[in-house]
Amino acid sequence: MADRMVVEAGRGVTRRGALLGGAAAAAGALAAPAVHAQGPVTLRFVGTAVNQHQGIKDKVKEDLGVNLEYIAVTSDDVVRRAVTQPNSFDLMDLEFWMARRVVPTGNLVGLDTKRIKLADEITPALTRGEVGGRKLGSQGLAPWKILYMEGREAKGFAAKQTEWMTIIPTVYNADTLGIRPDRISRPIESWAELLNPEFRGRASILNVPAIGIMDAAMAVEASGRHKYADKGNMTRQEIDLTMAALTEAKRAGQFRAFWRDFNESVNLMASGEVVIQSMWSPAVTKVRSMGVPCVYQPLKEGYRAWAQGMGVPKTTTGRRLDAAYEFINWFLSGWAGAFLNRQGYYSAVLSTAQKHMEPYEWAFWMEGKPAERDIRAPDGTVMEKAGAVRDGGSFEQRMGSVACWNAVMDENDYMVRRWNEFIAA
Amino acid sequence: MSSSRPDAGGAAVLGAAAPSAPAARAGARTRRRPSGPGAAPYLQAAPLALVLLLFLVLPLLVTAAVSLWDYTEFTLVPDATLRNYREMFEGCLSGGACGTLRTYLSTLRLCALTLAVTLPLGFAVAYFLAFHVRSDGARTALFLVCTAPFLTSNVIRMISWIPLLGREGVVNRTLLGVGAVERPLDWLLYSEFAVVLAFVHLYTLFVVVPVFNSLMRIDLRLIEAARDAGASSPQILLHVVLPLAKPGLAIGAIFVGTLVMGDFVTVGVMGGQQIASVGKAIQTHAAYLQFPAAAAQSVVLLAVVLMMIAALTRLVDVRREL
Amino acid sequence: MEFAAVTKRFGVAAGAAAVDALDLRIPAGAYCCLLGPSGCGKTTTLRMLAGHEAPTEGDIVLDGANVTDLPPARRGTAMMFQSYALFPHLSALDNAAFGLRMRGAGKAERRARAREMLALVHMEAFENRLPAQLSGGQQQRVALARALVTNPSALLLDEPLSALDPFLRGRVRAELKRLNRELGITFVHVTHSQDEALALADLVVLMRAGRIEQQGTPEDVFDRPRTAFAARFMGGHNVFPDAGGGGRVAVRSDLTRLAPPGSPGALDAVVRAVEYTGTGFALTLAGAGTDELTVLQDETERRAHPAAPGDRVGLTWAEADARRLAAD
Repeated sequence: MADRMVVEAGRGVTRRGALLGGAAAAAGALAAPAVHAQGPVTLRFVGTAVNQHQGIKDKVKEDLGVNLEYIAVTSDDVVRRAVTQPNSFDLMDLEFWMARRVVPTGNLVGLDTKRIKLADEITPALTRGEVGGRKLGSQGLAPWKILYMEGREAKGFAAKQTEWMTIIPTVYNADTLGIRPDRISRPIESWAELLNPEFRGRASILNVPAIGIMDAAMAVEASGRHKYADKGNMTRQEIDLTMAALTEAKRAGQFRAFWRDFNESVNLMASGEVVIQSMWSPAVTKVRSMGVPCVYQPLKEGYRAWAQGMGVPKTTTGRRLDAAYEFINWFLSGWAGAFLNRQGYYSAVLSTAQKHMEPYEWAFWMEGKPAERDIRAPDGTVMEKAGAVRDGGSFEQRMGSVACWNAVMDENDYMVRRWNEFIAA
Repeated sequence: MSSSRPDAGGAAVLGAAAPSAPAARAGARTRRRPSGPGAAPYLQAAPLALVLLLFLVLPLLVTAAVSLWDYTEFTLVPDATLRNYREMFEGCLSGGACGTLRTYLSTLRLCALTLAVTLPLGFAVAYFLAFHVRSDGARTALFLVCTAPFLTSNVIRMISWIPLLGREGVVNRTLLGVGAVERPLDWLLYSEFAVVLAFVHLYTLFVVVPVFNSLMRIDLRLIEAARDAGASSPQILLHVVLPLAKPGLAIGAIFVGTLVMGDFVTVGVMGGQQIASVGKAIQTHAAYLQFPAAAAQSVVLLAVVLMMIAALTRLVDVRREL
Repeated sequence: MEFAAVTKRFGVAAGAAAVDALDLRIPAGAYCCLLGPSGCGKTTTLRMLAGHEAPTEGDIVLDGANVTDLPPARRGTAMMFQSYALFPHLSALDNAAFGLRMRGAGKAERRARAREMLALVHMEAFENRLPAQLSGGQQQRVALARALVTNPSALLLDEPLSALDPFLRGRVRAELKRLNRELGITFVHVTHSQDEALALADLVVLMRAGRIEQQGTPEDVFDRPRTAFAARFMGGHNVFPDAGGGGRVAVRSDLTRLAPPGSPGALDAVVRAVEYTGTGFALTLAGAGTDELTVLQDETERRAHPAAPGDRVGLTWAEADARRLAAD
C-alpha cells in the first residue's frame, strides 16, 4: 500500500520534477538515496481503534508530511497480526505483554535509542519502576523488565539498559474498579468487593483471560484467600485456585455479564446492569459524560497497570523506517502526549506534554487538584465540570500505587483452557 | 498418405478434449464421439469442483492437519501429536463433566431450545404466507419484513436489547409499573433466555424460507382430498401439511442448527459472556495463537455438526426437496 | 340426489354463471355421467355436489336432506380427483385408510377395512408402496379404494380416465361399472368423452355453458339429439337443413345414404376422403355449407355406391331416421 501511495504521489509531478526525480533516482543508484525527493511517505499503523485518533493523524500530516494509514484491529488481533503477517504493516501500537509474545518470533526489531531524541526523558515509572522515589509493584510484566533488547535483531530481552528498545513507550495507565456510587451507598476500598455476595448479579469482569484472571487474583488476594508470588505469572495450582474462586462466584450468580470491549463495559455500567466491575479509565469518563454517576475507585491494594508503545517490524526499512522514527520522535515531543493526557491516560514523556497543556489542565489531570474550570476532551466535549477532582488523585498517587502489570503467563496455554472451562461452568 | 491416417485418428482420440485437432476427419470423428459425453459433464463440473477444492476441502484438510500440530507460546510446531485432543477431553474420562463436554452440552442445549422455538414459529409464518396470503405482492412485502432483523448491524442489534430487556429496561419498568413483579426480572438479559431470543429473532427466517418452499409445493387438491375424506383443519395440518413440510423443516433445522453451533458473537453478547459455546472456546484459543488447539476444537465441532446433519437427513429425504 | 335451481358464479362481479339455474335429479344407485366440453360447468357441478364449492344460489339435496351448507365429510359423498391426489407421504394402505383414520377408527380396524378396499380394486399386493412407486392406473385404483373406504352413498369421479392410456381406459371402465353394480351406490362421473358416457352411464347429462343441454339414457341422448350441439357433440350424426320446414335435422351417419347426384330430394355433396374401417367404409364429404359430413357404408352399400374422392354425389335418408332439431 505504501508503495502504491508513493507511485501515485509521483504521478502528479511536472515534467521538470519528473526529470529531477529521475536524476535523483539515477544518483541514488550510485550514492545514498535522497530520501525527501520522493513525496510523502505512508505508514501503515496497526493498533486498536481506541488509540487511533483522527486528530493525531491530521496533526502528523501537518507537522511531518507523513500519511498515517490506520489499520484498526481488536487487541487479540494485534498479536496475531504481528506474529503471522509482519509484512502487512510498518508500525504497530501494542502493549508490553503483547511484545513479550511477539519478540521471540523475531518479527519486531529493537529500536535504536540514539535515534529517539527523548529516550532519556521517558518516565522512570516505565524505565525503572519508580514514581517520585517510590518503587512500583512489579508483579506481572512490568515494562522495565522487557524494555530493552541486546541488539536490533535479538529475539529476547536484555536484563539491563541497552541502546535497543523493544518498543518505545507511548501511553500507560493504572486500572481499577469502576463503581456506581449512586447504587452503592457505602465506601468501596478493596478489590475483594468484586467477589462480595452483596453485589450478586451486579458485578462484572473482563472476558479477556490474561487480564480477567489478574483482576480475579487481586480480589482473591484482597479477600485473604491466597497470597500470590506473582499475579502475572501464576503456577498451575494458583491458576486452579483462582479459577475455582471465580467459578464459585459465577455459579452463585455473582456476575451479571462479562465484557469484551470498551462499549460493552460502558453499556453495562450506564444501564445499571452492573454496579461494580473492572473498567478502563476512558470508559468511566464516557459513562459520566452520559450523565450517569460513575467513579474510578482507588483501592487500597493498588492498581493493575498497563503500558503501551510503538514497535516496528523487521520489514520496515529505508524511507519508511526513517519516517517511523520521525513519527515516534514527534509522538514523544508533546502534542500527542497532551492529547493522551487530556483523555485520562498518561504520556511517556511528561515534560513535553506539559508544555502543550494549559496549567489548569495539568493541575487537574496530573496533580489531582480540583478543576479550575470545565475540563474538555480533545474533541471539545466537557468531561468534568469545574471543581471536580480526578478519581485517585495525582499522577504520583495513582501510578505510585500500582500493584501489578498486565501480563501473559508462562502457563498461558493451561490458563486459557481453564478459562474456557470457567466460561462453560 | 493413407498410412498416416490411423496415427492422426489415434492422436485425436487421445486429445479428445481438443476439438480443433487437425485430424477431425470422418474416421477420427466417429471414433472420438464416445469419449465426448463421458468427459463433458466432468469438464462442466470442474470449475465449481475446483473452487470447492480450493476454498472448502483444502482449508478443512489444513485445519485437520494443524489440529495434530504442537505449539508453544510463540510458534506452531508441525507434528503428529494428539496433545490438543487429549487436552480438550482432559478430565472427561475421570468421571464428571469436563469443560469441553459441558461446553458442548451448553451449545447443544441452546441449539435445541432455539430449534424448539424457531421450527414452530417459522412453520406458522410460512403457513400464513403460503396459504393465507393470496397476492404475490403482499407475499414479497411480508418476506421483506421478515428480513428486517438483517437490516442493522449485528452489534447495534444486540446492544439495542439492553434498553429493552435490561434490569432497568422497558420490559422490566412496565412490569414493575403494572405491579406484575416486585423486583426486576434478571433473566431477561444476559441469560439463556436472552441468547435464545436473539437467535429466534435472527434465524426464524432460515426456517420460514425452506418451509414456505415446501408448503408451496403441496398440491391444494391434497388438502381438498383430505377434507373430502373427513379431515378437520387440525387433522389436515397434522396428517397432510406437516408431513409434507418435513423436508423444509429439516433444511431449516440444518440451517439454524449449524448457525447456532458455530456462533460465538450472539452467545457472547446476549449471554453476558457467561454462557459457554464451542465457537467461543475456539475464538479464545485463536486469540491466544493456540491455533492447533483451535483447529482440534473445530474438527470436533465439524464432526458433531456433520453427525447432526446426518441424523436429520436420515429422518427426512432432503434430496427430494433439492 | 337433486339439484334445485343451483347457480354458481365465480368472482365478485355478477358475470356469466359457471353453473346457471341447474335442475337435476339423479336416482339412487344410478351411474350418471356429466358430459360436455371444457368450461361447460360439469366439474363445478360435481364439486358443488361434493361440497368443495358452495352454490351461489339454489339447494342441493342428498337422500332427502338438504346438504347445501354441509361440509364434504357429512354429505356421504366421496370424491376421486382427476390427478388422484394421493398423499405422497403415505403408503397405498395408509392412503386407503385415511378416511377412517380421520374418523378415529382404530389401527387394526381401519387397516383391515383398507385392505378389503384394496382387494376390491385388486391392489392388495401393493399396500406398502408409496404413490410415487405406482403406475398411473395403480394410483387410480388406490384413489378409488380411498374414496370407497368410508362407505359413501355416492362416489363422485372427476375425469377419472383422462390420464390413462386407451387400453387401460377400457379396463377401468368395466371395473367402474362393476363396482357401481356391486356396491349399489350412486356414481357421478364427469367426462368430456361421449364414448365414456355412452359406455358407462345410466343417465347422461349433456351440459353446455352452465346449463343442461339434454339428459336421458345413452340411447336417448345419442339417438335423439335435441339440438345441433347435442348431435355434433355426441357424434355419429350429420346435421342437414330441413327440406320441409325452416329448421334442421340430424341423421345418423350410418343411416345417411349415397344417391346419384341430382336425385330428387337428395342433397348435393362432394366426396373428400374414403377410409376403410374394417367393418365398412367411412366417407367424408362436403356439402350443405359444411365439410363435416360423414357417411358410413357397409359393404353392400359400398358395392352399390362406390364413390371415390372428388366424386359428386347426392345424400338421402329415410324420413323416419331424421330427427328434427330445436333451435340452439
